[in-house]
Amino acid sequence: MIILLRFAGLGLALVVALLFAVFVGDQGPWYFAWAVGTVMIILVAAAGAVLFDAQVEQYTPEGEF
Amino acid sequence: MDLINPAVVDLSRFQFALTALYHFMFVPLTLGLTFMLAAMETVYVVTGKQIYKDMALFWGKLFGINFALGVATGLTMEFEFGTNWSMYSRFFGDMFGTPLAIEGLMAFFMESTFVGLMFFGWDRLSKPGHLAITYLVALGSNLSALWILVANASMNMPNGAHFDPETLRMTFDSFVGVVFNPDAQAKFVHTSVAGYVAASMFVMGISAFYLLRKQHREFAARSFRMAALFGIFSTVAVITLGDVLGRLDYEHQPTKIAAIEGLWHTSKPPYEPWIVAALPNDAKQESSYEIGVPFVLTPLITHSFDTPITGMIELEEAAAPRIASGITAVSALRRYEENHQAADLELFRAHQDDMGFGLLATRHAPNQDVTAIEPEQLQNVIEQTKPDILPNVFVTFWSFRLMVFLGMFFFVLFAMASYLSLKNQLERNRLFLKLCMWSIPLPVLATEFGWITAEAGRQPWTVFDRLPTFMSASTHGVSYMLFSLAGFTVLYSIFIAVELYLMFKFARLGPEAHAPHDDHADPAHLSVVAH
Repeated sequence: MIILLRFAGLGLALVVALLFAVFVGDQGPWYFAWAVGTVMIILVAAAGAVLFDAQVEQYTPEGEF
Repeated sequence: MDLINPAVVDLSRFQFALTALYHFMFVPLTLGLTFMLAAMETVYVVTGKQIYKDMALFWGKLFGINFALGVATGLTMEFEFGTNWSMYSRFFGDMFGTPLAIEGLMAFFMESTFVGLMFFGWDRLSKPGHLAITYLVALGSNLSALWILVANASMNMPNGAHFDPETLRMTFDSFVGVVFNPDAQAKFVHTSVAGYVAASMFVMGISAFYLLRKQHREFAARSFRMAALFGIFSTVAVITLGDVLGRLDYEHQPTKIAAIEGLWHTSKPPYEPWIVAALPNDAKQESSYEIGVPFVLTPLITHSFDTPITGMIELEEAAAPRIASGITAVSALRRYEENHQAADLELFRAHQDDMGFGLLATRHAPNQDVTAIEPEQLQNVIEQTKPDILPNVFVTFWSFRLMVFLGMFFFVLFAMASYLSLKNQLERNRLFLKLCMWSIPLPVLATEFGWITAEAGRQPWTVFDRLPTFMSASTHGVSYMLFSLAGFTVLYSIFIAVELYLMFKFARLGPEAHAPHDDHADPAHLSVVAH
C-alpha cells in the first residue's frame, strides 16, 4: 500500500511537472528557463563538491590524482 | 494647472534611488546565497558528510545577517510609493498594486516563515524535510523578487492594462498579461541570476581569504569549488539575459537603447561600431573621444546585419507628431472631464496612444495647461518638448558600460577559478586568490549599475510613454523632502555599517564556531588544495 501511495505521489508530481513545463514553457519561456537553469546550476555546483571529495579520496602522498 | 515643484520631483527621485540602491546592496546576496545553501545541503543529504552541513550552517549565518538587514531596508520603499509618488500611485496603482500585494502576502511571508524553520529546524526536522525548507526559502526569496520585477516591468512595458478616461487611471485588464510580460520575464531572470553571481563571488572571496591564511582549508576549498562552478554558469546566464533585455529595449524602448549605446544618429549597418568608451554631451547632443569596435553594434542589438537602429535625434523628430497628437488627446480629455460630450471622448480615443506625450508637453504650455495652447504656439511647444523624450545619456551610457565591463570580468574570473579549483591549483596562485577576495563587492556594484541603467534609461517616464516623471510625485515641500532624505541616508548608512561589521566579524571567526574540521582532518587530504 505504501509503495502504491508513493508511486501515485511521484506520478502526480511528474504530471504537475509536465503541466508546468508545457504551460510555462509556452507562456513564459524565460521563467521556464530560469527554473531549469537554476536546477542545473545547483546540480553542477553539487557535482563539483562530490568531485572534490573523489579527488581527496584518490589522493596519495605521492601527489597522484 | 500647477505643476509639482521640480525640486520636490528631483528630491523624490533622489530619495527613491538612494533607498533602492541601498536596498539592492542586500538583495543580490539573498537571491543567490539561498540557492547556494540549498546546493550545499543537497550534497550533505546525499553524501551524509558533516562538512557540507557545516558549510550550510556557516554560510547560512552570513545569509541571516544579510537577510535581516535587507528586509529592514526594503520595507520603506513600498511606503514611498504612497508618500512620495502619490500621483503615480493614483494613476498606476491598480496595475502596480497587484504584484506588490502578492509580493507582500505570498513571497514575503513564505520567505520569512521558512527562514525561521531553516535556522531553527536543524534538530527538529528530518534531513530531507530541512532540505525542502531550504529550497522553499530560496524559492520564496526569488519569488519575492519576481513580483517586484513584474511591477517594475509594467512601468517599462505596460502590458495588460488600459487608460480609463472615466477614472483617469490605468485599469488592470489581464493578470496573465502582467505576469508574462516579456520585460518581466527577462528582467526577473537577469536579476535573479545576477544575485547568484553576487553570492558566488561572496562565497568564493571569503573562501579565498581562508585559503590565503591557510585556515579551514578543506571547508574553504569545497566552498570555493562550489561557488566557482555556481558563478561561471550564472555569469553566462546573466550575459544571455542581458542580451534579451537589450533586444526588448530595442523593440519597445528605443530611446533607452539609443541612450545606452550613445547613438545620436541612426546607425549605418553593418559598419556601425559598438562604442566602448566616449564622453556623451547631453546639452550639445554629441559624443567626444569615441572609441568603438566596428561591425559589432548592429548584430548585437538587432541580431541582423542590415537593420538600422534609430538614433536619438531622429527619435526626437519622430516624436513631434506624437506630441501634437498627445496635446489633442489631453485637451479632449480635459473637455470631456468638464462636459462629458461624446465627441470629446471620441477625439480622445482617436489620440489616446499619444496621451503621455501630451502630458509631457504640459511643462512648456502657457500656464502649464495644454488646453491653452494657441495654434501659433503649437509648433514652439512641440520643439521645446522634443528633447524631453530623451533620458540622461551620460548616466545611461556609462552605467551600462560599467555593468558590462564588470560582467565580462566576472566571466573571466569564474572561468579561471573553476579551472584552478578543478585542477587543485588554487593555493599556489595567491595573487589570484587575492583578486577573488577583493572582487567580493563588485557583483553588487554591477547590479547597482544595471539598476541605474534600467531606471535612468526609462526617463522621462515613470510609466513608459504614459506618465511623465515630473507629474508623478507628491506635493510635498522641499524641506520635508530634505529632512526625510537626510533621515534615510543616516539610517541606511547605519544599516550598511552594521552589516559590514557583522559580516567581517563572523567571516573572520570562520566556520570553527560550528566544527573544527582542520584540527581533525587528515593532513594528506588537505594537500589536495595545494596541488
